[in-house]
Amino acid sequence: MRSMDVLVIGGGPAGVAAAAEMARSGLKVTLCEQGGALGGAIHRQPGNPARAVPVPRAQSARWHKLSALLAKTDAEVLTFHAFIGLDATGAVLVEDRRQGRLLVLRVRALVLAVGGLERVVPRPGWHLPGVVTVGGLQVMMKVTGRGPAGSVLLAGSGPLLLAVAAQMTALGAPPLAILERSRQVLSPLRAAPLLLWPRYLAEAAGYMRRLMQAGVPWRLGSSVQTIRPTDDGRLETVIVDGAGAVSRIVVDKVALHDGLRSNSDGLPPAAHATDRNPHVVLAGDCREALGGVAAIADGRNAAQQVIARLTGAPPMSSASRRIVDTERRAQQALANIFDFGIPDLLKLPDETILCRCEGRTVGALRQMLATDDQPSPREIKLNGRIGMGSCQGRFCVEWAGAMLAQQTCSAQPAGAEFIGNRWPSRPVAIRSLLGPAVADAISSIPPNESD
Amino acid sequence: MTDRSESFFWNGQRISFEPADTIAAALERAGVTDFGAGQGPCNARYFCGIGACQACVVSVGGTPAEACLTPAQAGQQVRTLKPVRQ
Ligand SMILES: Cc1cc2nc3c(=O)[nH]c(=O)nc-3n(C[C@H](O)[C@H](O)[C@H](O)COP(=O)(O)OP(=O)(O)OC[C@H]3O[C@@H](n4cnc5c(N)ncnc54)[C@H](O)[C@@H]3O)c2cc1C
Ligand code: FES
Repeated sequence: MRSMDVLVIGGGPAGVAAAAEMARSGLKVTLCEQGGALGGAIHRQPGNPARAVPVPRAQSARWHKLSALLAKTDAEVLTFHAFIGLDATGAVLVEDRRQGRLLVLRVRALVLAVGGLERVVPRPGWHLPGVVTVGGLQVMMKVTGRGPAGSVLLAGSGPLLLAVAAQMTALGAPPLAILERSRQVLSPLRAAPLLLWPRYLAEAAGYMRRLMQAGVPWRLGSSVQTIRPTDDGRLETVIVDGAGAVSRIVVDKVALHDGLRSNSDGLPPAAHATDRNPHVVLAGDCREALGGVAAIADGRNAAQQVIARLTGAPPMSSASRRIVDTERRAQQALANIFDFGIPDLLKLPDETILCRCEGRTVGALRQMLATDDQPSPREIKLNGRIGMGSCQGRFCVEWAGAMLAQQTCSAQPAGAEFIGNRWPSRPVAIRSLLGPAVADAISSIPPNESD
Repeated sequence: MTDRSESFFWNGQRISFEPADTIAAALERAGVTDFGAGQGPCNARYFCGIGACQACVVSVGGTPAEACLTPAQAGQQVRTLKPVRQ
């Protein structure tokens, strides 16, 4: 650790692009990644390079270019370092997970590029072991180079289902089926705007070709309604198809995905520096979930903002901003054919888990909402313990907010109304908090001399 | 076929792993999907894969850590977070 101007959090495309751009301009940059390697969700690198999951060529080329760019700079990369928060004194708290200690850093700018989240709509049984997110299943394949064992059902909505099904197939482990909730995916009228983005169409065509050759069905209008454990440790799913017909199928794994979303709840908001705080800039999917191409451009945008603020250099070209705008329109076109809407959650059975961390149910929230005094999002969290758990509401406040809105026919509250943005923005090991903090990296303390 | 010389312990049971495996990846390969009693009322298990959901937290050498982020290390004692509830 050495003195630094800028701390970048997150080693995905947005964070790497931001770090490389700022380092090239002469700023002293440190990049912290909580995992063991750079790449983020999309460019997750295989443990064994000989066993890589096939990805579109343009996608791997983007990452090669980006990581080569970073390698040419003097930016410092710290893996197994997790951002914990910005404290009241304006210090950035980072947990060194290897050493189990807390770093208290003072920097001039902080770029947060911690990535987005997958949405998974709650349904009975979505909390069971063996139920994973589609992206989580993909991460596992990318790391191990192997397809999942046993029979797998992919369900939900979005292009990621196709991509992951094709990757599973290429690894010799095709899913039983893809259940795509939207019926509109192939509607020419809805899909027409996508002709403006041939890159997405070509990628999808490649995936579909592979799936058709392998005979993997892509059932439009179908969804998994309920998941139950069987006596022999498998999962029985109840499926409703586009015509309303119900069927049951027993599988080993269910992978769910209902789109991607931003992840800024719980993070300090973007702001100019004050006499205490550094400049804070959010970049990539955590700011707005727009995909891998936009994440790189957004990282560059963030870098240019920081460079302008720290060096007084005039803002540079608007090319990156235009890429982000174009990708936003592409995502809107995709959202038009897939189904990222929120179903009527008030119809879920009472025993459905809503908050996975605290095990709070739909029934518990329904009861709170049935009282004459409508609870506020904060009250739902503090009294109902929904969104209180260790994921800090990342996988439930959207649904709690939707239930509140559906019950009261009002606008859906933002996730931040439940969560706020006080640190820690993620759980931190108590031993790190209790241990000797390594203060002020500007006069940095090498690991072994700190105690 | 593969070098399976390295292993850690899951609740006392030996689990082989490959270079760069996370604890979650090695448990998955060994067919362990239910990680036992977790931080809340639901059992611990792999879900998001990116360190966001906290569902996969297990005890790694006595410290709670996400199985999906923590690299497997030879000889490590990895356990269910809490004693299994009745
Ligand atoms: C699971 C998953 C799978 C996906 N798969 C695909 C795909 O196959 N194809 C596709 O086009 N798009 C995919 N996407 C979308 C795509 O990942 C994004 O559009 C793009 O990667 C966003 O880049 P990013 O840099 O903003 O975030 P990410 O790539 O998510 O990178 C964020 C990085 O920040 C790190 N981080 C998070 N919190 C902290 C913290 N507190 N401290 C330190 N580091 C932290 C994470 O470990 C991660 O490496 C996927 C998204 C997810 C969530
Ligand atoms: S699986 Fe979600 S944090 Fe590990």
